[in-house]
Amino acid sequence: MADKPMLIVDSHLDLAFNAIQINRDITQPAAVVRTHDHQSTLYRFGSSTVTFPELRKGRVGIVFGTVMSRIDPTDWLGRTGGMFSQAQCYGVGHGHYSFYKAMEREGILKFIHNAEDLDAMVAAWQNPSADTPFGLVLAMESADPILDPDEVSKWYDRGLRIVSISHYGNNTYAQGTDTEGGLLPKGKPLLDALKASGIIVDMTHTTDQGFWEILDYYDGPIAASHHNCRALVPGQRQLTDDMIKAIVERNGVIGAAFDVWMLDPDWTRGVRGCDQTTKATLETVVDHIDHIVQLVGSANHCGIGTDLDGGYGQEQSPRDLNTIADLQKLPSIFKKRGYKEEDISKFLSKNWINFLKETWGPKTRE
Amino acid sequence: MGSNSAKPILIIDGHLDMGFNALFNQRDLTQPIQVLRERDDSLKNKLGPYETDPGTVTVSLPELRRGHIGIMLATIMCRVQVPWPGRPNCHNAVRTQPTAYARGQSHLAYYQALEKEGEVSWIKTLEDLESSVAAWENPTPDTPVGLILSMESADPILGPDQVAQWWEDGLRAVGITHFGANSYGHGTGTPGGLYPTAYPLLDAFADTNMTIDLTHAADTAFWQILDYWEGPVHASHCNCRALVPGQRHLSDEMIKALCERGGVMGMVFAESMLSPQWDWDDPSTHYTKATRPMKAVVEHVDHICQLTGNTDHVAIGTDLDGGFGRELAPIDMDTVNDLQKFLNILRDRGYSEEDVAKIAHGNLLRLFRNAWSK
Repeated sequence: MADKPMLIVDSHLDLAFNAIQINRDITQPAAVVRTHDHQSTLYRFGSSTVTFPELRKGRVGIVFGTVMSRIDPTDWLGRTGGMFSQAQCYGVGHGHYSFYKAMEREGILKFIHNAEDLDAMVAAWQNPSADTPFGLVLAMESADPILDPDEVSKWYDRGLRIVSISHYGNNTYAQGTDTEGGLLPKGKPLLDALKASGIIVDMTHTTDQGFWEILDYYDGPIAASHHNCRALVPGQRQLTDDMIKAIVERNGVIGAAFDVWMLDPDWTRGVRGCDQTTKATLETVVDHIDHIVQLVGSANHCGIGTDLDGGYGQEQSPRDLNTIADLQKLPSIFKKRGYKEEDISKFLSKNWINFLKETWGPKTRE
Repeated sequence: MGSNSAKPILIIDGHLDMGFNALFNQRDLTQPIQVLRERDDSLKNKLGPYETDPGTVTVSLPELRRGHIGIMLATIMCRVQVPWPGRPNCHNAVRTQPTAYARGQSHLAYYQALEKEGEVSWIKTLEDLESSVAAWENPTPDTPVGLILSMESADPILGPDQVAQWWEDGLRAVGITHFGANSYGHGTGTPGGLYPTAYPLLDAFADTNMTIDLTHAADTAFWQILDYWEGPVHASHCNCRALVPGQRHLSDEMIKALCERGGVMGMVFAESMLSPQWDWDDPSTHYTKATRPMKAVVEHVDHICQLTGNTDHVAIGTDLDGGFGRELAPIDMDTVNDLQKFLNILRDRGYSEEDVAKIAHGNLLRLFRNAWSK
């Protein structure tokens, strides 16, 4: 435990959603945000676990920060707010992007646009100082804020590097989690535009049909930013063994998600986190990573994509995790399972770093 | 009565929080009002970012078109303020300026998406203004609503260096403060004036043709702005303190000073701004149901016209759906569309057609024509 902390890459955090929609000052420690939050906020979103000081404590130096807004008229009362029109999603999405730009202006983070930026950020986090900026890879959860395929290049210029086509419900370009069906008519033109820009398609939150349709049609880079194993936890939200193999064949990386709904088969969806107790711990997360490693016979395809504070809080996270700083407990758990130092650093950061570098190459567009 | 069959004329609404309603009340404002009301009515869980009661939506784009409200000042609205006493979960107050910037950008982007869809036409120049006015001479059901971008509290502007970009993006009128003590100074409900950071901001505005909105300035801030700022001013949505109590409204001295500077004052269509029983500074006097008809607004129009001796300084700035809904709008008002009936009330009260046209649109047009002619 006294080991030097290791750099962690988290491939899915809804930081801007927390700042803008939940109205949290995430430049403060989680303990402070918990005193800020109104009781109704605590009921809906749980206790804060992700803020910049916590990320720093956990040496989570590089994050995929999302732009998140979706069309979903059937779930507009949901915690993450389905919208009725793409214009609304564009507005919210642009607000999320602007939050990250404002954080960059304050020196809290830096956008990572290419392999060079990534190398510099990895180097900076080898021996971070108290104010080393976080590296941000701009991600999008559900493509609805992209008004049309011809706007993909504009989003690329803003820094967007990874996009999931859908989220929950009936979105613009594809059906998402909790629905049936697959790509919608605008889906393929969008995939063409993403391919042209070299943007990674995030397979998380596809339907089963959508998963295979996208994999079949899209021959650009793919990954799964926050996704666990259906062999351990049943349900459409998780990847089957065949899906895992297919992602690995395409050289993708799968980020392990920390929402206990995706870790604990006994978790009751729809009951608030504050009204039940999970059995899931950080060990449970490692079970999923271990499953993938055994299945594909390689330690090169697993990463961390916590999704902490993704519409839930500490109450719906592994029970031995108070804030995201506790990710530094993972190395000793991996070690106990017999993983070598080299593999552990792959899980925590190197697999994502290598994947991004291979995707972007030395000649990434500026 | 001839007045009731009068042909609708162009109305400019000087203050509508469209972006906030679209993004935080999740209203797709391109939809008919009935649809928005049904959706609000299905709002079962009122925990969270819902500012208004269900079923009371009064503003949507089709409704604006129906009422010939052909031009609006639509706001960027987000302020830095500690959680509001009595409304700790208020979602237009945030803790940091970067958050306010991001919220403000989200409103801007929503309007840009509406422009792309042809729902609104953005008014940034004199030519844009004249062509929007011309389009509303003989509108079709699809004529886009002219949009002049305004900002309620300057918190989304992170510093004077961002003013040029906001101007380029279309921002044309800015209120420095809103409720509480904001980034640049004191707003409604607080005693105090501008913070030192406000002056470089005003200097940056002076390099543009920005209009400063004095609405929501605390009393001291009001006089400090008028003293320091030499450019155009208005009060987009303010009523008269002589008729209703509280710092939220303009005193006679303030009205005179504003009008001497060529300013215009937009009448607010809210019980909270029309009832002498409602003291903005005393929450124990606040209540939840309107008691007054639109005629109550005419008292404020009369007061300003008597005070200034002319009809050159009164406009309309309803603020409808600005944190309240039909329940606190005048009791004879169903939607914003009913503003044409308000013009009839003015006509019945003896205002000439020329005066009515000034109040409906002429005075605000003059303000922006002057501001943008430099």
